[in-house]
Amino acid sequence: MLLERRALQTELPALAGLGNVDLCELLASLGFPVDGVETKQGETILEVDITANRGDTLSQRGMARDLAAKLKAPLASLPHTQLTEGPALFPVRLEADACPIYATAILDLGANAGTPTEVVSFLASMGSNAKQLPAVDASNELLHRYGHPTHAFDADTLKGTLLVRWGREGETLRTLDGVDRKLTSNDLVIADEAGAIALAGVMGGDATKVTSDTKRVLLESAWFDPRVVRRMAHRHGLHSDASYRFGRGADPAMAKIARDLLAARLQAWAGATLKGAWTAGQIPEARPAVTLRLGTLGRIAGAPIDLAEAAAHLVQLGCSVKIQGEELCAVPPTWRHDLALEEDLAEEVLRLRGFDCIDSVLPPLEGAPLPLAPNYLQARNLAYRLAHVGFHQTVTLGFISPDADAAFAGSDNPAEGRTLGNPLGQEYSVMRASLLTSLRATAELNLRQGAKEVKLFEIGPIYRSTGNGPSEVMVLALVWTGTLGGEDYLTRARAVQAADLLGVARDLGAQGTPQVRELGEGMLALEIPLADLPAHEERIIPKFTPFSRFPALERDLSLLVDLAQPYAVLASAMTEAVGKAAGECFKGLGCVDVFRHKSLPAGRQAWLLRLRFQAGDRTLTSDEVDGWVTAALEAARTLGAELRG
Amino acid sequence: MDLTLLPPDITAAHSGFELAVAACADLDALMRLKGEFTGRDGSHAARMMDLLKTAPKEQKRELGAAINGLKNAWEESIKKRQSELEASKKRGTSLASSWDPDLPPPMPAHGARHPLNRLMDRLVDVFRPLGYHVEEGPETETEAHNFDGLNIPEDHPARGSADTFYFAAHEGKLLRTHTSPVQVRVLKRLAPDIEKLGGIRFLAPGRVYRKDEIDPTHSPMFHQVEGMLVGHNIGMHHLKGTLAYAMKALFGPAADVRFRPSYFPFVEPGCEVDVRCPLCGGSGCRVCKGSGWVEILGAGLVHPNVLRFAGIDPTIWSGFAFGMGVERTAMMVSQTPDLRLFFENDQRFLKAMGGLD
Repeated sequence: MLLERRALQTELPALAGLGNVDLCELLASLGFPVDGVETKQGETILEVDITANRGDTLSQRGMARDLAAKLKAPLASLPHTQLTEGPALFPVRLEADACPIYATAILDLGANAGTPTEVVSFLASMGSNAKQLPAVDASNELLHRYGHPTHAFDADTLKGTLLVRWGREGETLRTLDGVDRKLTSNDLVIADEAGAIALAGVMGGDATKVTSDTKRVLLESAWFDPRVVRRMAHRHGLHSDASYRFGRGADPAMAKIARDLLAARLQAWAGATLKGAWTAGQIPEARPAVTLRLGTLGRIAGAPIDLAEAAAHLVQLGCSVKIQGEELCAVPPTWRHDLALEEDLAEEVLRLRGFDCIDSVLPPLEGAPLPLAPNYLQARNLAYRLAHVGFHQTVTLGFISPDADAAFAGSDNPAEGRTLGNPLGQEYSVMRASLLTSLRATAELNLRQGAKEVKLFEIGPIYRSTGNGPSEVMVLALVWTGTLGGEDYLTRARAVQAADLLGVARDLGAQGTPQVRELGEGMLALEIPLADLPAHEERIIPKFTPFSRFPALERDLSLLVDLAQPYAVLASAMTEAVGKAAGECFKGLGCVDVFRHKSLPAGRQAWLLRLRFQAGDRTLTSDEVDGWVTAALEAARTLGAELRG
Repeated sequence: MDLTLLPPDITAAHSGFELAVAACADLDALMRLKGEFTGRDGSHAARMMDLLKTAPKEQKRELGAAINGLKNAWEESIKKRQSELEASKKRGTSLASSWDPDLPPPMPAHGARHPLNRLMDRLVDVFRPLGYHVEEGPETETEAHNFDGLNIPEDHPARGSADTFYFAAHEGKLLRTHTSPVQVRVLKRLAPDIEKLGGIRFLAPGRVYRKDEIDPTHSPMFHQVEGMLVGHNIGMHHLKGTLAYAMKALFGPAADVRFRPSYFPFVEPGCEVDVRCPLCGGSGCRVCKGSGWVEILGAGLVHPNVLRFAGIDPTIWSGFAFGMGVERTAMMVSQTPDLRLFFENDQRFLKAMGGLD
């Protein structure tokens, strides 16, 4: 919202001695941070942030009123002469509770003397151009100066009784902006006998607008239910200065006053003659009183505050206050719709005292802390480990394009259930079924940027369609591509291989052989649900397992096997045979070299297998180990392997 | 040994001999040197023998002695160096005696955690001593958790499809717009045990989504860290004490906090929390726009409706909640000029900003 320093000062003369910096500080301390200060045609203009609950400060006077309460300084009196109301010249009927009061007047316009220059300049400060139509400019000025939206109809275009009623299905209205609006029964409209002529509190109709030819105007100054106005503005995508103010709660007591001020301006600027003024309905009943207990106030403030002091602050804000024992009872003023709970009153007291007066105290620890969640610790430790072995953690958007998603989504995970109804665009429309698409794009970007080796990981949720909406599964995805080594005199450069990635997965505790995918030439990746990785260990130190202090023996077997021989089959056959023979002394089998060369018999390769033995209670002898190795070799032979000569 | 009888080129070669031997890094080099000095043909030794043949008789004895002395010294040195090199070859360190420690060594692999995760984990560490644990909630939420349970009215603009992403096929399912629904979930879950637990304290870091176009200061997905405490007689002074502690832990002992009134439907009173600018210490700089303060959190006392919605009696229990924008804080602390860098994931950026800790 824009504040003009001069207009603000007109409402609150006490600001005269305050510098701009101090004014900004003062506004911020009251909850209205200043986003910017600029000077336009000699006027200082402040752009102020107003929170959604403070519709009462959406004008120069509204803001001045809040500042006045803080400074305990008087507001200038309103230049207001009350009009004498008479019989309705035009019947007005209120058919909806959402409009409890509708003040109006009819004036014959005289010669247009033009909008006064100081008003033109004020409107310019508010970012609005004067239209040189007195009724329009005056209404606009009142809105910005006093916060109450008003409207003027060309009275000669109105037919019969004026109604404030709910819209009818199928009814349409062309609003001032030239758009035809389809109305519903949730729209509150002003209507004459021919149909709707305005969206209440939002925008007037085109057919009844004031033009330079208008001879006679009917003024509208009403109050509309904020919820109704907000919904209408939202439904029609029509956010006007009026809907902004009514939607956040205007002051019903201003209805008549704003009508009077508007009429006075037309008399002064356009030689208008008042034909009659009257009001349908009345100001809604005062808001219910709110009770603030001494104990609550002290608890929230963190220190005892005298109820008399609290009352003084609330009175400054326009509440009428009574103190009874340890309770304070406040009736909020007509312009404060946000004061409904005792917490609200306590906040107002603290706000006027200044939040800086609040002490700084750590709360007592009332119960024992709960442990950190194992899922959080698992993910955090994985990130540490991967970072320490050279991977970079990425964070990528959760939504991707349908095409990108399809590349990795299983057929049992249809995209429909994971698709947003209102995405930023097609490319951000599906909650991803895999992290791999995003990691591929990130890896490609890094390669384009000249990285020789790209090592990335991401830990995040992927989405599965279920009947109940998308469900989330936390996964770890790794991608590794490019050249590894070659940056120092000991390490040879070589391409990254699938085995490198599997080694990392095994090191993290992945069971079995996770599927390594090739996302592009030499770009290797895998994705593992965190549930498939070891959970965070609850015990500080695992249970002790004894280890042998006797020497271990290793035996290597160089075997010729078929090129098509699966390693897992051979290894398990050999493991079973040695296990049977050596029992607990057998400590494991590994393949430490693979040799493929034309010097070998056609269709064969050589594997160098290493068997490891150790006993818990003695030093093994060569003879017993030889027997076990023979058993292993026999098992290998049954699968067509032979000892390489 | 009288070297004056020998030709000057040979005495010159001899004076550089010991250095040349030491400089031989491997056996090949040493053998080449050996050939040069003591080889059968063309070596310094061979030329000296030729010299001896043509020398006058009376010089022969003296010259022969000098030549032999030289030859023996050379052979001995070469032999000694040869055994050294053979030994080091056996040890597998061919460079052993001539290894230069200034040669760049092979470096252990060096990756990085993401700076946003690093900051969130740091916050968890900061709050751990105060008894906060970590809670996580799903990104796919219901209106009940994301709005209703947080006292956000039915016609609040944040609920609109202009601000919140909704799923097409599941009415009422949305992507959470803040980490505050975790409040609702945790309060509901722990409500039955709240007496026994002696209140509730937790931190909820996570990803959230809002319908903002991607630009240097906005992203449709970003991170928040939510914090909440529920106990007896909790007031604004407790909120201030807690955040003052946390900001000092995060930014150093000079960090100070300032509260400004503000409004969030799920707290009352509500406030914005400024921290004394960690970059200039409050004297005013580009980051704090000269004010000495930077806005870093939204906070307040838990609205009684939020407690009531979760089944907790607000006349007995009270609490506070706060929420921090992770990107915003990370950008401020690091002076990163563009939010998009955090989602671009260039390894150079990650390495520099996230590091290993």
